[in-house]
Amino acid sequence: MSIEIQSLTLSYDEHVLVSRCNLTLAEGEILVILGPSGCGKTTLLRAIAGFVKPDQGSIYLNGRDLNPLPPEERNIGMLFQRPVLFPHKDVLGNILFAYRKKKHRNMEEVNEIMKDMGIYAMKNQTIETLSGGEAQRVVLARALLTNPELLLLDEPLSSLDLNVRRQLAAEIRATLKSKNIPAIHVTHDHDEAAIIGDRIIEWSEFHSMESE
Amino acid sequence: MTLRSIRSVPIFVYLGFILIPIYLAIQRLIDVTGKDPFTAIFSLPDHPLGSEALYFSFIQAFLSATLTIAIGLPIAWWLGRHQWKHLNIIRAALTLPFVTPTIVAAMGFLALFKTGGPIESLGIDLRFETGFIGWLSNATGIENSGHIIALLLAHAWFNLALVIRFVEPKIATIPPRFEESIRLLPIGKTRFNRARYFWWPMLRTSIGSAFLFAFIFSFTSFALVRWLAPNMWTLEALMAVEGGAAGIHNYRTEASLLVLGGATLQGIILLFALGLAGYWQQKQSISNDVVSEYFARKTAGKPSLFARIGVSSALLFALAPLGSMLLSSVRIRDRTNESFRWSSEAWDIALTGDLTYVSAAEALSNSIAYALACMIVSLLLGYAVASSIHTFETRGKKKTAMIIDLLSMLPLALSGVMVGLGVLLGVLKVWPELFQWYGLPIIPHAMLTTPFVIRIILPALRSLDSSYDETAAMLGYSQYQRFIRVRIPLMKSSLVVAATLSIAFSLGEFGASWILLRSGSWDTLPILVDQLMARPKYFQLVEPVAMATASLLMMVTFVLFVITERFREHQGGGF
Repeated sequence: MSIEIQSLTLSYDEHVLVSRCNLTLAEGEILVILGPSGCGKTTLLRAIAGFVKPDQGSIYLNGRDLNPLPPEERNIGMLFQRPVLFPHKDVLGNILFAYRKKKHRNMEEVNEIMKDMGIYAMKNQTIETLSGGEAQRVVLARALLTNPELLLLDEPLSSLDLNVRRQLAAEIRATLKSKNIPAIHVTHDHDEAAIIGDRIIEWSEFHSMESE
Repeated sequence: MTLRSIRSVPIFVYLGFILIPIYLAIQRLIDVTGKDPFTAIFSLPDHPLGSEALYFSFIQAFLSATLTIAIGLPIAWWLGRHQWKHLNIIRAALTLPFVTPTIVAAMGFLALFKTGGPIESLGIDLRFETGFIGWLSNATGIENSGHIIALLLAHAWFNLALVIRFVEPKIATIPPRFEESIRLLPIGKTRFNRARYFWWPMLRTSIGSAFLFAFIFSFTSFALVRWLAPNMWTLEALMAVEGGAAGIHNYRTEASLLVLGGATLQGIILLFALGLAGYWQQKQSISNDVVSEYFARKTAGKPSLFARIGVSSALLFALAPLGSMLLSSVRIRDRTNESFRWSSEAWDIALTGDLTYVSAAEALSNSIAYALACMIVSLLLGYAVASSIHTFETRGKKKTAMIIDLLSMLPLALSGVMVGLGVLLGVLKVWPELFQWYGLPIIPHAMLTTPFVIRIILPALRSLDSSYDETAAMLGYSQYQRFIRVRIPLMKSSLVVAATLSIAFSLGEFGASWILLRSGSWDTLPILVDQLMARPKYFQLVEPVAMATASLLMMVTFVLFVITERFREHQGGGF
């Protein structure tokens, strides 16, 4: 098992979003959680990432208890709804941001992943010149270079048009499978869920997975 | 130690840094006078000059603020409504006076009004009040009317930038469809009605804020009062002069009483004005939607001839005192035959220091050393406090954040003279050995500049998207690494603006430095200019040397101003 959530309770502004829920994810599995806007999907991902403190419960990643760890020590990658690219860096600079120290940079690996993601030709472009789909590809490439143990996808395709969304969804699935990286993808789009996910659960279903 | 208490440390350090000198000074004055600060206010009329200073402070500040709005509003209107070529340069030239050191402004206006100067040659003698001004004095019965006019004009010149910065962006971004809609209604048929029912409600908070800030800066002005209206007293000027005798047991208790009562009253007035200006600014920022400046300007089109003449006159008004000062440093008046000659002698004397204890070059190096140290202290402290406030806000502690935010603005209610007296009567009476410390001026300078740094950095922190920080965290960056590699690069503009403004304010600071460094080898450039102007003028080069020294200060400030303008991101309705 890659991730194991035990008896997790989350609340936002005194409103309970998740109460004593359990969830497990197999190695390399891509789980999609489907739910309407505002139901708490993003809060769940932010809790796994370490940005939100759970009211109670535990989260284990490959046997490590994540609760005491800050986000930077969890080795998890995350794609947000809006692609987050640093405006003071160009495309290559943003991708190289995956390496905290210059001496750790592996340019062969960087070039290979940029070619795989179809963004090699735009490596010297500024980020304002990228389309939404290209920007998310850059973000994904950067996240993959950190070799995450888990990838969290917070509706990263929601702002793209239908064709690009479907194409990118298929590419994300293929990339994750080829690298055997488990992922939790939250969305409200059924088509996208069907393309990406190995397993799909509705938010209401997840909500009812309460501990005895 | 909990995380919350760690976040509070910079706030306590900041408040301690500001409040301890003031608290110690007040405590000492209470001991000496035997009166509490509020009772001392009612003793102000007991001082021979107390009532006059109080009355003149109010009147001149009110008239100066009114004149500032009267001159600045048409300029802001023309600039905000039309498409101008080189708009950024025009804006920069009109806002230059606000960052000009007050002693430089005083020298500029003295150069403009002096005998043989451009204004006197037009038959308007504001300095010696002959001719028309003399007639005006006699007709109105107002003594020193020439000096008062000079002071009001100088205050309007200095504060003009406030109207430009507060009102012009507002005019430029109001959607044209609003005015178009009101023109189609019966109520908006005439210009007067549109001004009354549309523009005034839209602009009144911005105009009000500009008026209040102009009032505050005129009320606490010292160098301009000292040199342009030398026979008049404001509270600030009187406190500065009487401050040297205050705080000593059984010696001139009326001086201590004046400083205690004057500072308390001035603090209350400034706090009230700042509170009201802050409230109006907040209302202004949430009032309505805006459009891009380009769109609004395009709708109104190119400026009319009248607008061009108006803006050109404003540019002349903004640059004339500085130009006159520069000219006066090389145009030497020969007293024997009342003629003028061109020479760089005054610059040579200023740089070698033949007339003073320290040369202009040494004073410049002192000024730069203090300004750099002040920048480091105020940037570190200001960033830490702004970051603490922002952390409280993001963690949902909105009330705590608001209280700390308000407390952080308290020092804005302290004038240069009040801060100088705080350090003199508070810190130095407790630790007199600090008088021997070269870095002494850094304390008041940082006290005065840190609140401005907070006001620049806090909005930048608020506008910084938290997802950048979160993304870097997900890539494994520690808090320190995120600060260095994400926060600093993204906030570069604000940090550069805060740093250069801090240096510029410190370089030009006069009130506190005048109290603490009146004679010594650590003189700053503004103090050197004041010392030179205070010398008897038997030697014909005294005044040109003072003008040359002030010009040197202006040039350094100008370089800093250019840097600030290059990095300033366009923002509506603020400093």
